[in-house]
Amino acid sequence: MDELVQRLLSKMTGLDLQKVFRPIKQELKPPTYKLMTEKQLAEATRKAIEEAKELLKMPPVLSEREPIDDVLAEDRILEGTETVKYVFTDITYSTPHRERFIIVREPSGVLRKATWEERDWMIQVYFPREGRKLVPPPIFKDENLTTVFREDRHEDVLNLCIAQFEPDSANYIRVHHQTYEDIDKHAKYDHLRSTRHFGGMVWYLVNRKKTDGLLIDMIQRNLMDDATCLINLYHILHPDCQSAKEAKEQEAHGVDLIKVFMKTEAKKVGYIELALQAYQEALASSAAL
Amino acid sequence: MKNYHGGHIAIRLALGGCANRPFFRIVAAYNKRARDSKYFEQVGCYDPLPNSHNEKLVGLNIERIKHWIGCGAHVTKPVEKLLGLSGFFPLHPMTITNAERLRKRRALKAITASEEETPGD
Repeated sequence: MDELVQRLLSKMTGLDLQKVFRPIKQELKPPTYKLMTEKQLAEATRKAIEEAKELLKMPPVLSEREPIDDVLAEDRILEGTETVKYVFTDITYSTPHRERFIIVREPSGVLRKATWEERDWMIQVYFPREGRKLVPPPIFKDENLTTVFREDRHEDVLNLCIAQFEPDSANYIRVHHQTYEDIDKHAKYDHLRSTRHFGGMVWYLVNRKKTDGLLIDMIQRNLMDDATCLINLYHILHPDCQSAKEAKEQEAHGVDLIKVFMKTEAKKVGYIELALQAYQEALASSAAL
Repeated sequence: MKNYHGGHIAIRLALGGCANRPFFRIVAAYNKRARDSKYFEQVGCYDPLPNSHNEKLVGLNIERIKHWIGCGAHVTKPVEKLLGLSGFFPLHPMTITNAERLRKRRALKAITASEEETPGD
């Protein structure tokens, strides 16, 4: 089932080569021109598509991690000797970061395991990772996030978030949810269409049954396959809802599936009907031509 | 490699850093060597000044410390105290003794302070 979900999500993400390989900030080099035969051009485009698939791999979606609260020893004799915490980190190169021992000796003499924030900070101090700062930059605060959303830079924020936080930390989940909510409110789905964040956004929306805006957007851009993929995904995740049962009974495909879904589950029924009508008129006129 | 007569390997603190800013590296070296000179391996670090979150950072490469102790290295008192605080070794007796002495001194001071106050009133 997970394979199917992954395939549906990647089909919906689309493969717009122009957008994926948009020039990122790099050192300035004069452009190189190569002369190629048709076969070599086909080879080059194939390799580019493979690289694009690598770049479009979705980051993991995990539930929030639970706070660590483990006391290893209590030595009340030491109370009052120190005014400072001691933080002991295990610097063995070959242990994975998840299993490292990071222990704190409080001034009250209690020896406890470090909290998740302390762990992240210590691991960044001793094993610095590219793109991560010691203190999370102020862009992730709520007021600054609203400014960024007004400037339509959602994917930059999401890329920074992936580099800075662990996938199961509270900050990561909060920032991602706020981004997806904002995109849903203003119907800016196209910003994430060919990036690796699209799958995560679709997963979030389908889990909370807020798929109407996305459906309307897809129909307006004449992406019928993506719309059917979305509804299939919805049925896989919520097999008990009415539209899933009706769809199984009638074995509907394509536009009929959308109509079934619209009648049973959608909240913005009017908008979806209008969009469908416009699409069918456009189809009819182009067929007539 | 220099051969020492009757020398042994020690895990000790080597001082580094700048003026009024000490920084210790926990190091496995020959006992007879100078404090900061050639060592076998750096096995950790200790920063005696607290940082912005009021913490003193100590890094310990537990795997290599175990290896050197297995090779028969001696451990100096400050490193033993640090390892005792971390939980890797049992608590050093001097840490406990110092804590008790400090407590007694503070209790005495509190008693003398209260005795001075009451005749003064």
